[in-house]
Amino acid sequence: MFALALVLAFAVSGCVSDSLAAQYREGSGKNYIAGDGTVTEITAENRAAPVDFSGTLESGETATSADYRGRVLVVNFWYAGCAPCRAEAPDLQAMWKKYENLGVGFLGVNIRDRTDTARSFSETFGITYPSAIDADNGALQLAFSGVIAPNAVPTTLIVDKKGRVSARILGRISDASILDALIKTALEESDQ
Amino acid sequence: MNDRVGPTVSRPYDHHDSRVAASGDRITEPPLDFIGWLRWFWRQLTSMRTALLLLLLLAMAAVPGSLVPQRTADPNGVTQYFADNPDLASALDKVQAFDVYSSVWFSAIYLLLFVSLIGCVIPRTRHHLRALRAKPPKTPARLGRLAGFTTRDAPAGTDAAAAIDSARSLLRFGGYRVALFESGSEVSISAERGFLRESGNLLFHLALIGILIVGGFGSGFGFSGQRVLVEGQTFVNTLLAYDSFKPGRFFDEERLDPYTLALDSFDVEYETLNLKAYGQPVDYTAGVTVAVQGKTARTDEVKVNAPLRVAGTDVFLLGNGYAPTITVRDPKGNIAFTDSVPFLPQDANLTSLGVVKVPDGLAQQLGLTGFFYPTQAKAQSGAYFSSFPDLEYPMLTLNVYAGGLGLDAGVPASVYALNTDKMTQLTGGDTGTKSLELKPGQTQELPNGLGTVTFENADSGATDGDFSGSVLRFASFDVNNDPAQGWVLLFSVLALLGLLTSLFVPRRRIWVKAIRRENGSVCLEYAGLARGDDPALEAAVFTLAKRHNAVLAPTPPSTQTTEPI
Repeated sequence: MFALALVLAFAVSGCVSDSLAAQYREGSGKNYIAGDGTVTEITAENRAAPVDFSGTLESGETATSADYRGRVLVVNFWYAGCAPCRAEAPDLQAMWKKYENLGVGFLGVNIRDRTDTARSFSETFGITYPSAIDADNGALQLAFSGVIAPNAVPTTLIVDKKGRVSARILGRISDASILDALIKTALEESDQ
Repeated sequence: MNDRVGPTVSRPYDHHDSRVAASGDRITEPPLDFIGWLRWFWRQLTSMRTALLLLLLLAMAAVPGSLVPQRTADPNGVTQYFADNPDLASALDKVQAFDVYSSVWFSAIYLLLFVSLIGCVIPRTRHHLRALRAKPPKTPARLGRLAGFTTRDAPAGTDAAAAIDSARSLLRFGGYRVALFESGSEVSISAERGFLRESGNLLFHLALIGILIVGGFGSGFGFSGQRVLVEGQTFVNTLLAYDSFKPGRFFDEERLDPYTLALDSFDVEYETLNLKAYGQPVDYTAGVTVAVQGKTARTDEVKVNAPLRVAGTDVFLLGNGYAPTITVRDPKGNIAFTDSVPFLPQDANLTSLGVVKVPDGLAQQLGLTGFFYPTQAKAQSGAYFSSFPDLEYPMLTLNVYAGGLGLDAGVPASVYALNTDKMTQLTGGDTGTKSLELKPGQTQELPNGLGTVTFENADSGATDGDFSGSVLRFASFDVNNDPAQGWVLLFSVLALLGLLTSLFVPRRRIWVKAIRRENGSVCLEYAGLARGDDPALEAAVFTLAKRHNAVLAPTPPSTQTTEPI
C-alpha cells in the first residue's frame, strides 16, 4: 500500500516533467512543438519500411520518393514563421552546397505556408534546394509519420539509399557538423 | 422498538454478534508508545468521519482551480494573468495556485482520502466475507420482545418439526439463509437476509477507489493537442502539426496514430428572426475530410459537443473565427507573403484581433496588427466596432510596423503578439498616418514605399456588395485521447449500482418457533429484527405468518390471536 501511495504521489504531484509538458505549461503561443536537437540514429537492421511519398514543389513540379531512390535524401520540415527554422536555414543550405554534387538530395517540406511565402523565405536565405508545399493536403507529413516521426518543428530526417529513415534530428540543428556526420554515415553505407 | 439490539451507527450493517468484551470496573487508558500512536493515527484516518471531512476538504481545495487560470488547462490564461497582475500572480504561484490539481496540498488531501478509503474498505470486506459464511444466530429465547411478534395456534394435528420445515422452505424461497435449532419442546428456525446491502455498499466504495485510480493513472496515458485550421487546410496527427500539445504523464510519442483531417468548410448559422437574440450563433458545423493511413478518406462533421471519433481520438470543436487572407507585395509586385491569418475574436460580434508577420521578401521585416470587423459600424466617438457576427460589411484595419520581428535568432515568439521593441510604427497611433483600411478585394500602399498590402476576397466570383463568402473562417480543434474514459464509465456505473443496492435491499432477521404444548397442540411464534432502517419488517413478519398458516391448513383456522407490538 505504501508503494502504491508513493507511486500515486509521484503521479499526482507531477514530479515527472518532460519538455513536451513544459512547453504546454509555458503557454508562449508560439504555435508549434519545439525540439531540443535530439539526434536519433537507427541501425540498418532496425529501420522501418521505405517511405513512399509524392508532393508538390514550390515550382509546381511534383517530387516523389522514386526521384531519390538510390541516393541519400535529407528531408527538412519547416515553415517561414518558425524561429528555429530560420536560424538553421543557413546551415542546411551550406550542407546542400557541400553534398549537392555527391548525389545527396535535399527536400524541404513546408508544413504551414503558401507557395509565395515559402519562396520569399528561400530568397531571404538563398536556399537553392526545393521545398514541397504541404499545408493544404499534409501528404508528406502523413507519409513520414510513424515510428520515427517528425515530432517537432523543425525536424530533419536522413533517408538512406533504400528510402528508409535512418536518422532524425528533432528541433534546430545545433551544429552543422552533426548533420554533416549523419549524411556522411548514410553515404558510406553500402547500397546492398 | 429494538433499542437494545439495534446496531450502532459506527458498525457495519452486517456486524455479526461479537463476543461481549470482558467487563472491567473502569476504563483504563494505556500509555501510547510509538506503535500505539501510529495505530491511533491509522484509526482516525480510516474512520468514516475523517473520510467525509477529507471529501469536503477536497471539494473546497478544488475551488481555487476555478478562480484563477490553470497551467494544465489554460496556459495562455496564466501568462496573461502574470502580465495583468504581476505581484499577485507571483504570490499565487508560490502557493501553487496555478497548478491546483497537482499542488502539494491538493495531492495531500487526495492521497489521504485514498488511503482512508482503502483502510476503511479492506477490513469491511474481510468482515463481510466472514459474515457471509457465518450461520444465522441462535433463536432468542423470548421472541415476544422483538418486532412484529405474532403467535398462532397451529392447526390440530400439526407436527412441530413439519411446521418448521414448511416455514424453512417459505423463508428459503424468500431469499433467506436459514438455520434450524432445537431445544427441548421447541423447534425453531433462524433466518437472515439482505447481505447484498453490504455487498452493494462495498461495491460502491471499491468502485470509488477504482474511479480515483483510473482518474489518476489512466488519464496519464492520454493526451490532448490543439490546432487551428483555416478552411482548406489539412492537419496531420503528428506532433509536427500541433499548435500546442498536452501529454499525459506516461505519454509515448509513438501512440499518435497518423491520420489527416482537412477542414473543408465551416458553417455558422446566426439567429436573425428573434430580435432579442439577434446575431446569436445557433449552430456551428465544421465539414471535414478524414483519412486514416491506408484507408479511404471519408467526409464527416464536427459540431460543438458532437466530437468526431477517429483512430482512437476524439476531435472536439473548440472555437472559431475569421482568417482574412492578406497578401503583401514588394514594390515590384512580387508576392512577399500571402496567407489566411486567424484573427482572434474579441466580442460576440466577432470584432477580431490579429497579427501578421511578414519576415521575408521586403526591404525590412514587417509586422501588421489589426482589427477585423465582419460588419463594420462606427460609434459616435469615431471608433469602429462590429455590429453583427456575419459578413455583411467586412472591414480590416491594419497598423504597420517595420523593423526586426525577432524571429531570426531562433527564439520562439507568440504568433498572436507582436514584439515592437525593435520596430518602428508606420501607421496608426501617434504616427500621424492613418491606419490602413481595407475591404475585401482592396489593395493599399504601404508607407515608405515598402510595397502594397491586399485584403484578398476569398470568393472572387461574388457580385458587388455580396461579402458573404469574402473571408475564410478558421476552426480550432482539440484532439483528445483518454484511454481511461471507458473505465471511468464502468466504475461509475458500478458505484451507482452498488449505491442503489445498499439503499434498497433491506437487511433483516426473522425467527419462527414451534412450541409443543403438553396437550399435543403446537403454538407457532413469529418475530423479526431489523438491521438498519426497515419500515416493512412488521408487515413482512405478518405476511410470513399468514402464508405459513395457509400452507399448514388450507382452510383458515377458527381461533387465532394476534398481538401486534
